[in-house]
Amino acid sequence: MITLKGINKTYFGAVPLHVLRDINLHIDRGELVSIMGASGSGKSTLLNILGILDNYDTGEYLLDGVLIRNLSENRAAELRNRMIGFVFQSFNLISYKDALDNVALPLFYQGVSRKKRRLMAMEQLDRLGLADRARHLPGELSGGQKQRVALARALITNPSIILADEPTGALDSKTSCEVMQIFRELNADRGMTIVIVTHDPGVGEQTNRVIRIVDGRIAPDQ
Amino acid sequence: MIDLISEIAQVLGNNKTRTALTGIAVVWGIFMLIVLLGMSNGVLNSFNEHRNSQGSNMLKVWGGITSIAWQGYKEGRRVSLDDKDIARIAADNPAQAADVSAQVYGSALTVSTPHDYTSAYYMGVYPSEQRQRSLNMKAGRFINDLDLHERRKVVVLSSKTAETLFADPGDAIGSVVKMGNIAFTVVGVYNTEWDQSIYVPFTTARVLAGGGDRIDSIVIELKNVNSEADGTEAETRTRKSLAANHAFRTDDESAVSIWNRFNQQLEMNRGMNILNIAVWVIGLFTLLSGIIGVSNIMFVSVRERTHEIGIRRAIGARPRSILSQILFESVAITTLFGYIGIFLGSAVNELIARLTEQTEFISNPRTDLNIALSVTVVLIIAGMLAGLFPALKALKVKPVEALREE
Ligand SMILES: Nc1ncnc2c1ncn2[C@@H]1O[C@H](COP(=O)(O)OP(=O)(O)O)[C@@H](O)[C@H]1O
Ligand SMILES: [Mg+2]
Repeated sequence: MITLKGINKTYFGAVPLHVLRDINLHIDRGELVSIMGASGSGKSTLLNILGILDNYDTGEYLLDGVLIRNLSENRAAELRNRMIGFVFQSFNLISYKDALDNVALPLFYQGVSRKKRRLMAMEQLDRLGLADRARHLPGELSGGQKQRVALARALITNPSIILADEPTGALDSKTSCEVMQIFRELNADRGMTIVIVTHDPGVGEQTNRVIRIVDGRIAPDQ
Repeated sequence: MIDLISEIAQVLGNNKTRTALTGIAVVWGIFMLIVLLGMSNGVLNSFNEHRNSQGSNMLKVWGGITSIAWQGYKEGRRVSLDDKDIARIAADNPAQAADVSAQVYGSALTVSTPHDYTSAYYMGVYPSEQRQRSLNMKAGRFINDLDLHERRKVVVLSSKTAETLFADPGDAIGSVVKMGNIAFTVVGVYNTEWDQSIYVPFTTARVLAGGGDRIDSIVIELKNVNSEADGTEAETRTRKSLAANHAFRTDDESAVSIWNRFNQQLEMNRGMNILNIAVWVIGLFTLLSGIIGVSNIMFVSVRERTHEIGIRRAIGARPRSILSQILFESVAITTLFGYIGIFLGSAVNELIARLTEQTEFISNPRTDLNIALSVTVVLIIAGMLAGLFPALKALKVKPVEALREE
């Protein structure tokens, strides 16, 4: 599903920062993987490259057999829309749209009709136990509910892969467990490929494979 | 499209205060444009009506006083127009003089019927006077050639005078009025707002004035005149004819005074065009400040929503969707408030129209549908312009950086 060969990434700030060094990685379809490492080790940078939100300097990234390099903004937008679902630590919901509209938004960019998108969004919310919160604004939801809305938004386009950056970082341990439970079910029941970035070992334990990053390098398996 | 509208409605509704504040600038700009256009239309209409009420293809001539000694005469000599001038002007310039007629101004006298009396000025005129003044007959007819020829004692009254003199103005035609001591038959009544003149045949008026061949003014209706140069030529030729008859120098401006209505009209038209252009320029500049306001707000809005734009990009918005959303938002704000401005401006124009119904300077200061249409086009273009740079800025937003920003 995901193949990285010799990926390097440097941030050219005041002092150039070589964040990712010679990353080689393969993730199969249907895997539930976590990427762990200390803060600043380059986890988010890696995930952003996987999500075609950021570019890399050298190497090769194949997503489902497609070489991701020098894509036009339109092509990148389309791939993100159809293939990838994002979940962020800070939820990244649009504050003035209610849960239903937030979930339906990716379909808006696919040109799905308003009626159909609302129906699909409602189904998705229902599956995650949020049907009664559909008309609430994000500000009126708890952290766990917000993250479930974000998940519903990630799932609504039926993507091949879910990329989650510290999805439980802003949640208490109980809701963290609930969210992780959802990830596990999605992986087990629907065979969805899921990559979770975290620095929480408890989260890492619930995934099937842990990839460790130390100073921009993938640490060899113990 | 409905999606886009509801999307925009959500965004604008989310920032009601900001939207409203921006909107006021646009409302004001459009309001000014509409009111100014309305006023200039009003002035224009008034001038046009005025022009229609008095034919504009003509010269009107009065006698004057010479200011240059010439052919043995001293300066300061009074020049009185007379019958010879009528014939000569027509003969000297057949290409341009379509019709030459004359007037004799009578003194004020008492006009009476057994019912009532009034004091009025009378004027001895040719039949062409009716056309030149665009007089509208309410009843009867105007002075005709036969009246002139036979020096008939007939009179044409204004509707107001007729109302004064007759218990039932419908009885006026055929009735007798006394002008001084002389009995005249009323042959016509004309509609009027201002003019209260009493018209009698030119030849009759001359008899009343005690005979002679003195004329107070001559009107030359022009033909084949299309430009200012034509108008000036007609004027010069007329002056020459008169100079020959009355022995004054052709460049003696004060010997006769000539009112060149034709050239004046051309000048007025030019003035009207300039007025019109000036109004558009002023209005557009006022609008420009509105546009800059919208543009500023859109910049602020794009900055504030950088994070949101990042989210939208991450979940698959193409750059084009972002661009068109900002542009549409801008156009939506501009047209929405623009129409409020049009509405308010038209309301004020309507009010002014009602208040000035009796005034001469402004007539029907309303804007027509055409202007509303061109203003709509202006609004859409203005909205696009206002949104363009903010939208281009929104395009440059990189998803990763936008998402990192909180
Ligand atoms: N846009 C950027 N410009 C410069 N440095 C950056 C940028 N983004 C991240 N970094 C730096 O790169 C390093 C890795 O960042 P990140 O991938 O976010 O780490 P992690 O997610 O593992 O905490 C950090 O030191 C961070 O400060
Ligand atoms: Mg991070």
